[in-house]
Amino acid sequence: MPTAAIDPPGVQWLRVSPKYVTVRLVEWAIGNVLLLVVLSLPLLCVLLGWWRWPPLWLAVTVPAVVLVLALWRLVLIPRQVRAIGYAERDDDLLIRRGIFFQRTMVVPYGRMQYVDVAVGPVERSLGLCTLKLHTASAGTNAHLPGLPAEEGARLREQLSARGEARLAGL
Amino acid sequence: MSPEGNAAVSLRDETVDGVWRRVHPASPFVRGWVALAAVGYFFGRDAFERVLQGREFVDPNLNSRAPWLLAGGAVLLLLTVGGFILSWYFTRYQVAEGYVRVNTGFLFKQQRQARLDRVQAIDIVQPLLARIFGLAELKFEVADAGESAVRLAYLPLDQAKQLRATILARAAGVVSGPEAAGEEVPEAPEHVVLSVPPGRLIGSLLLSEQTVGILLGAAAAVGVSVLMDNQAIYLALIPAILGIGAAYWSSFNKGYNFTAAISPDGIRLRYGLLDTQAQTLPPGRIQAVMVAQPPIWRIFGWYRMHVNVAGYGAAGTEGAARTMLLPVGLKPDVMRMMSLVLPDPGVDDPERVFTAGLTGLAAGGRSAGPSDDGFVVTPRRARLLAPLGWRRNGFFATRTALLIRSGRWWRTLVVVPHQRTQSMALHQGPLARRFRVADLVLHTTAGPVSPRVFQAGVEQAVELFDQQAARAREARKRQTSEQWLAQVAPQAPEVAAAAQPQLGHSEQFPSPLQQEDRQDG
Repeated sequence: MPTAAIDPPGVQWLRVSPKYVTVRLVEWAIGNVLLLVVLSLPLLCVLLGWWRWPPLWLAVTVPAVVLVLALWRLVLIPRQVRAIGYAERDDDLLIRRGIFFQRTMVVPYGRMQYVDVAVGPVERSLGLCTLKLHTASAGTNAHLPGLPAEEGARLREQLSARGEARLAGL
Repeated sequence: MSPEGNAAVSLRDETVDGVWRRVHPASPFVRGWVALAAVGYFFGRDAFERVLQGREFVDPNLNSRAPWLLAGGAVLLLLTVGGFILSWYFTRYQVAEGYVRVNTGFLFKQQRQARLDRVQAIDIVQPLLARIFGLAELKFEVADAGESAVRLAYLPLDQAKQLRATILARAAGVVSGPEAAGEEVPEAPEHVVLSVPPGRLIGSLLLSEQTVGILLGAAAAVGVSVLMDNQAIYLALIPAILGIGAAYWSSFNKGYNFTAAISPDGIRLRYGLLDTQAQTLPPGRIQAVMVAQPPIWRIFGWYRMHVNVAGYGAAGTEGAARTMLLPVGLKPDVMRMMSLVLPDPGVDDPERVFTAGLTGLAAGGRSAGPSDDGFVVTPRRARLLAPLGWRRNGFFATRTALLIRSGRWWRTLVVVPHQRTQSMALHQGPLARRFRVADLVLHTTAGPVSPRVFQAGVEQAVELFDQQAARAREARKRQTSEQWLAQVAPQAPEVAAAAQPQLGHSEQFPSPLQQEDRQDG
C-alpha cells in the first residue's frame, strides 16, 4: 500500500483483482506499440536513406523519449492497480486510486442514481468487470475497474439495495 | 390577433385539471416568423422594389417571366402555414395527477410526462415578438441537465402565470385531493427583495473582465499595426468590434431591470429589456452558489452571483444563461440573496462569517494559526505553492452549508448546502504531498459553480472530508420530502393539505410590503 496521507483513518480497503494488471497491460500494449511504430517510421526512412529530413538525432530522440515514458508507465501499472481500493461504509462507498496523483472519493449510497457494470473483451476473458457509479453530478467520475465478476454483481446488488433504502432526491 | 384572443378566452374557461389543452394558436407563427419572413421577403421584394420605383405592383411581364416561381412561392407558403397549423393542432398539454404531460408531433408523435414534484425550476420567457402579442413561453425544468423537460410555447401571459402557480402549488404539495381539482390556484404573493439599477449594470459591464480583455487586445492591435506599419489591420478588427458590441448588448439586454423577489413558491428572478424572463426557483433547488468579484469591481464593492440548478445544465447548454442569480450587486444585496438561497446560514453571526468569506484575508504572520474568522486557510508551509492565495484559500463549515473561499485578486466564495453535496473527492498531487496539503472537490450538478477547497492542510482536509460526509448524511435525513410544504408538517398530511392553501400562499409573509405584480411590464 503506497502512502495514504489523504485516506480517512480507520478504513479497511478492499483491493481489486491482481488480474486487472493484465487488462492494463493489454491496454498499454495496444496504445503504445502503435504509437511507437508510427513514431519510428521517420527513423526507418532516414536510416534507409529515403528521407533527408528529419536529422538523425531528432528521428532517434522522439521515439526514444516516447519509449522511455511508455516503459515508465509500464513499470507503474502494477503499483497503480494495487493503489485502487474501495471500502463499503454504512452510508457511503469510498473509492481511492493513484500513486502520484491520489484521489479518495466518497459516494453516499443515497446519492446514487444508477449503477453500471461494464465488461470489455479482455476483462471478460479474465472474469473481471468494471463498476460505474452515477450520481446527479457529472463530476462523480466513480468507476471501479478490475472487480471479479461475482464481486461486481454482489456490489451492484448491494449498492442498489442500500441506495434504495437511503434514497434522497437531489 | 383578436380571433386568437377569443380562442384563448374559451380555453381559459375550462378547468385546469385533467383537460387536454392547446397552446395559443398564434404560437407557431410567433415561433416560425423567421421562415414566414424569409418566404415573404424572397417573393415580395421584387414587387416592393417596383412600387418604390413608381411602377405598377404586378410585373407587366409576369406572364412571360416566371409564373412557376410565383406558384412555387405560394405552395411553399401554404405548406409552411399548413405545417404550423398541424403542429399547433397536435400539441396538447395537461396538468393532472401530479404530472404535466405534453403530446407533440403528427408524423412522429411524442408523449412526454414529468412529475410535478421533481420540478427544479420553472421559467416564463417572453421573446420580443411574443411580448408584443402578450404571449409567453413556459419552461419546466427537471434534473436532466440540458434541454427543458417541458416547454409550452406560447400561452397568453396570464394563462402561463396561472399554470405556473398551479404547477408550483401541486409540486409544493398544497393541492392533493381530487376534490381540490378545478379550483383556481391563486398566485403566491411575493416580496421584492432587490433590483439592479441600470446605471450600475452599465458600469459593471464597462468594468468587467471583458473590457480588460478588449483594451489589451486593442493595445496589441495598435502595437502590431505600428510595428508593421500597416493600416489594414484596423479593417480586420471590424468583425471583432461588431462581435464585442453584440456581446455587451446581450449582457445588457439580459441584466436590464433585474429584480429578485421571494415568495412561498421560491425565489423569483425577473430581467430583460426586449426579451423578458421570469424564473422561479422553488426552495431547496439550488445546489451551489458562487459569489465572485473581478479585480476592478473591488473599487465599487460589486459582486456577482451564479447558481447551480439541476435543470439548467452545464455551460454551453441552453439553460446556462439562466444560472445568474445577481448580475451585479453591493454587499448588502449579496447578503440578502444569500439569505434567500440559504434561509438558515447555520451560524450565529452570519454577517461576520460571510464578510470573512467575501473579503477576508488571514494574517500572514509566522505565529498566526491556519484560521481566519473561523475560516481554515492554507497552512503557512504551503505558501510557496500558492504564493498569492494561501492566506485567502479557506473553508468554513456551518451547521447547514460549507463555505469555500478562494482567490486573492479574483475573489470567490462558494456555498454548498450540506444536503446538496452529491459526492466528494480528495485530490493530492506529488507537489501537494511535499507540502502536506490536499484539495477537496465537492461534486454538484452541472453548472457554472465547481466547488473546490484549494490546498487545505492534509489533517484539516481529511477531517473535513470525514465530517462533511457525516454532515451531508445528517442533512439529507432531515430533508424528508420533495414537496417543500409537505416537509413543514409531515405528521398530519390531511390537516396540512386542508390548511395549506392559505398557509402556503399568504401566511409566510404576514405583511408583504410590496404585493404589486411587477411581472414583465
